[in-house]
Amino acid sequence: MLARAQIWWTIFTMCVAERLAYRGDFVLGTTMRFLPMITQIFLWTAVFASSSNGKLVGFTRNDIIAYYLLTMVARAFSSMPGLASGIARQIRDGEIKKFLIQPIDLIGFSLLARMGHKLVYYGVAIGPFALVFYLCRGFFPGWPPAEYLAAFLLSLVLSFLLGFFLEASLGLAGFWTLEISSLLFVYMLFNFFFSGHMFPLEILPEPWRTWVAWMPLKYLAYFPAAVFLQKIPADQLWQEVGVLVAWTAFFFFLSRRLMHAGFRRYSGYGG
Amino acid sequence: MSVIEIRGLRKSYRVYQKKEGLLASFSGLFHREYREVNAVKGIDLTVEKGEFVAFLGPNGAGKTTTLKLLSGVITPTSGEARVLGYVPWERDNDYRRRFALVMGQKNQLWWDLPAQESFQLHQKIYRIDPAAFKQTKDELVDLLGVGKLLGQPVRELSLGERMKMELIAALLHSPEVLFLDEPTIGLDVVAQHNIQKFLKHYQQVRGITILLTSHYMKDIAALCKRVVIIAGGEIVYDGSLEGVIDRFSDYKILTVDFADDRMPSDLARFGEIREIAPPRAKIEVERSQIANVLTNVLANYSILDVSVEDPPLEEVIASLFALTEQQQNESKESNIASAAANVAAAGKN
Amino acid sequence: MHRPNYLAVFWMFARNSLIRDMTFRTNYIIEVVFGLCWALMNLGFYTLVYRLMYADGDGAADIAGWSQYQFFVFIATTILVNSFVEGFFMANAEELSELTRTGGLDFALLKPIDTQFLVSLQRINWSAIPKLLLALALLAYSIPRIEGLTLHPIQFILYPLYVVMGTLILYSVMIGLAATSIWLGRNQSLYDFWFYITNFSRYPMEIYEGSFGSPLRFVFTYLIPILVVINVPAATLAKPLAETNWPLAGFAVVATVGSLAISRWIFQRALMSYRSASS
Repeated sequence: MLARAQIWWTIFTMCVAERLAYRGDFVLGTTMRFLPMITQIFLWTAVFASSSNGKLVGFTRNDIIAYYLLTMVARAFSSMPGLASGIARQIRDGEIKKFLIQPIDLIGFSLLARMGHKLVYYGVAIGPFALVFYLCRGFFPGWPPAEYLAAFLLSLVLSFLLGFFLEASLGLAGFWTLEISSLLFVYMLFNFFFSGHMFPLEILPEPWRTWVAWMPLKYLAYFPAAVFLQKIPADQLWQEVGVLVAWTAFFFFLSRRLMHAGFRRYSGYGG
Repeated sequence: MSVIEIRGLRKSYRVYQKKEGLLASFSGLFHREYREVNAVKGIDLTVEKGEFVAFLGPNGAGKTTTLKLLSGVITPTSGEARVLGYVPWERDNDYRRRFALVMGQKNQLWWDLPAQESFQLHQKIYRIDPAAFKQTKDELVDLLGVGKLLGQPVRELSLGERMKMELIAALLHSPEVLFLDEPTIGLDVVAQHNIQKFLKHYQQVRGITILLTSHYMKDIAALCKRVVIIAGGEIVYDGSLEGVIDRFSDYKILTVDFADDRMPSDLARFGEIREIAPPRAKIEVERSQIANVLTNVLANYSILDVSVEDPPLEEVIASLFALTEQQQNESKESNIASAAANVAAAGKN
Repeated sequence: MHRPNYLAVFWMFARNSLIRDMTFRTNYIIEVVFGLCWALMNLGFYTLVYRLMYADGDGAADIAGWSQYQFFVFIATTILVNSFVEGFFMANAEELSELTRTGGLDFALLKPIDTQFLVSLQRINWSAIPKLLLALALLAYSIPRIEGLTLHPIQFILYPLYVVMGTLILYSVMIGLAATSIWLGRNQSLYDFWFYITNFSRYPMEIYEGSFGSPLRFVFTYLIPILVVINVPAATLAKPLAETNWPLAGFAVVATVGSLAISRWIFQRALMSYRSASS
C-alpha cells in the first residue's frame, strides 16, 4: 500500500514539475484567461442598456456578469484541455503499451497527472481569481446560504470528476477509431454552447431548454454558477446534485469499461 | 582559394537547469538557473574544393553544431568562417543557393504529399531553370532508382527511400557544397550501401565538396580520405583514416596458429591476450616490441601461421572517444576542485 | 534573377496544400462542417439575445448602436476576416512552435527565400472557403434588411480593402505571438492567447465606454489595433458614410503598416534568439 502511494506521489510530483518547467506559458495563460470576461461585462452592459426593465429571463446585468465569473470557476475545475486528445494520441502512437507493464493504469495515471496540473494551476490562478472577484464583488448578490454554498463546493469537485471521466471516455474511443478529432470537435461545440459557458441556459428557447436540462454538459459550467446564484429552487437542489453524482458515476464506469475493452482489443492485435 | 575556411569558431548557448523536486519546481517559476554549454570550442579547419571530409565524434561532440554553423542556421558566439567566400550566418541568398544540408534525422519533404510535389516547390524556391530542373531530377531519380516512388506520399516510404528523396531534394539546385548530417542513420545495410555508392559516384562526377558526419565507420571508410575527429567541441585529429590508427593506437594484434593443439601457457608475457581458441591465439603487442616478440615466438614454438594486424578502426576510435571523455570529466572535476580551493582560500582571508 | 519569384512559390504552396487537403477528404469535410457550425452557433446566440431584447416590450433592440441586421453585418465581417486568417496563416502560426521544437525551422532557414514568408504561408487552408461564402451570404441577407440605409458605391470598394487590412493586422498579432514561442521554447497555449486577444475585436468598439472602457478602447484601437480589424470594415458597410468616421478609417491604414512592421521586427528578433540559443 505504501509502495503504491509512493509511486503515485512520484508521478504526481513529476507532473507538477513538468508543468512548471514552462513558466512563460503558464503565467501568461492564467492572466489571459480573464480577458474575455472584460468584453462580456461590456457586451452585457450594452445589451441591458437597451432593456426597459433591466431584466432578461430573470437575470439582471449584475446577475449575468456574476454568472460568467462563476462559470469561470466551474470551468477551472471541469475543463480538461488536451486530455482526450492526449489519450487518443497515446493510443495511436502505441505509447499506452507502458500501462500494460507498469503498476498503474491509464486512467489512474491521467487522473493524477490532471490533478497535478490543476493544483499547480490553482496555486498560480488563485491570485488573479481572487483579485478579479474582489474587483467584481459589486456584481454579486452576496454569499448564498450555507446549504447552497456546500452544494456549490461539492458541485465543483464533482464537475472536475465528471469532466475528467467524460473526456477520458472520449479519448478512449481512440481504441476503436483512429480519427477522434472530429468527435472531439463535436463535443467541444456542444460543450461551448450547452454547458452554459457561452450564456445562462435560461436564454435557450424550448424545447432546447428541456433537452439541455437532462444532458450532463450543464454540470460543467452552468450548474455550479446557478447554485451559487440560487437560481435552482431549494427543493430541487439536492436532487440535481444527485443527478450530477449519477452522471459522474456513469462516466467513471464507462471509462473503465472502455479502457479494459480497449486494452483487450489492443493486445488482441498484438500491438 | 579554399572552399571552407574556419578560424577559431566557437558556439555556446544557455540551457535551463531543471531542478528536482516539487518545491524547486515552484521556485523555478520565478528564478531560473542556466547552464552554459560550449558546443564548439574554437575550431580551425580548411577544406579544399572537391574534398570529401568526414566528421567523427561521440554524441554531443559538436559535429552537428558545426554543420549548422556552416549552413548559417545558427550564429556562432565568436570566430570566423567562409564557405565559398561567404560568411554563412549572413545568409546571403546567393550563398543559400550554392549549398545544401541534409539531416538524417529530420525531413524537409512534405510528409503527406508525393516527393515530386516537394521537388517542384524547391524548383520555385531556388528558381531553378525548368529544363535544368527536369534534367537534374531525372538524373538523380535514375541514379537512386526511385522513379516508381515519386508519386507516393512521403509518409508511405521506407526510411531508406525517404532518405533518397531527401538527397534528391537537396541536390536539385546542384549545390557546390553539401553538408550531410548522419545521412545513413537508422538504415539497413543494403540501404546504407546504396546511399554510399550514390554519394561516392555523385561526388566524383560533380567534384563537389562534401562534409559528412556519421556514426558508421563503414560510411567513412567507403567515402572519405580525410577524417576530422571532434571531441568535446574541439578538433583532436585531422588527417587520413589510416593515420588515425598510427596516431592513436600503440599496439598491433598478433595472431598465431600453433602447430599442435597444446597451447603454451605463458603467452601473457608477450602482451595482453585477446582471444584464445586453440590452436589460435590473438595477442595485443606494443608496437615497439613487435619485432622482439615475433622472433621470440617463432624461435620457441612450432608455428603454422602468423600474422600482424592493426586493431580494428572502430575500436581505436571508440577508445579514443572514451579517453577524451574521461579527460574532459577530469578537467571538469579539477575545475571544481580549484574553484572549491579558491572559495576556501577566500574564506580564510 | 536572384530574387525568388514569391508569387510562383505562393502558388505552389496553395497547390500543394490543396493536394494534401484532397488526400484527407473526410478531414476536410469535417473541418468545413464544424467551421460553419461554429459560425452559425455564434449567430444563433446573438439571434437569441436580440429576440430577448425585442421581447422585453419597448420594441427597441440594439447593442451599442448596432441594430440586429447591422450587428449581423458585423458578425459576417468577423467570419470573413477570420476565414482569411484561418485560410492563410492560422495553420502556419500553429506550426511555427512545432517547427521550433522539432528543429524543422532549420530547413526553413536554409532556403534562399524570406523566412517569414516561408513559415507564414506554407500551408494554405482551403477549408476556410465555405466560411467565406457563408460570410458573403450573411452580408447579402443582412444589408437589405438594415432600416434606412442606402449605400454609396464607394462603400463597396472600401469594404474589401478594410477587410484585407484587418486580416493583415490579425496576421501581425498572430505571427508576433508565434514568434514569441521561439523565445519561450514551447508555447502550448499560443492558440489561447490568440483567442483571448482577438476576442476583443469581435465586439463593436462602442461597447467599451466609461471610465474603464474608454482607456481600454484607446489601447486596443491605437496601441494594439485589434479593434480596428472588424469595426472599421463593418461600419463601412453597415452604417451610413459619415465624415466623423474618416479619422479612424485613416488610422486603420497606418495601423496596418505599423503592425506589419512591428511583427516583422519581432520575427527577426526571435530568429536571432533561435540562432544564438540553439545548438
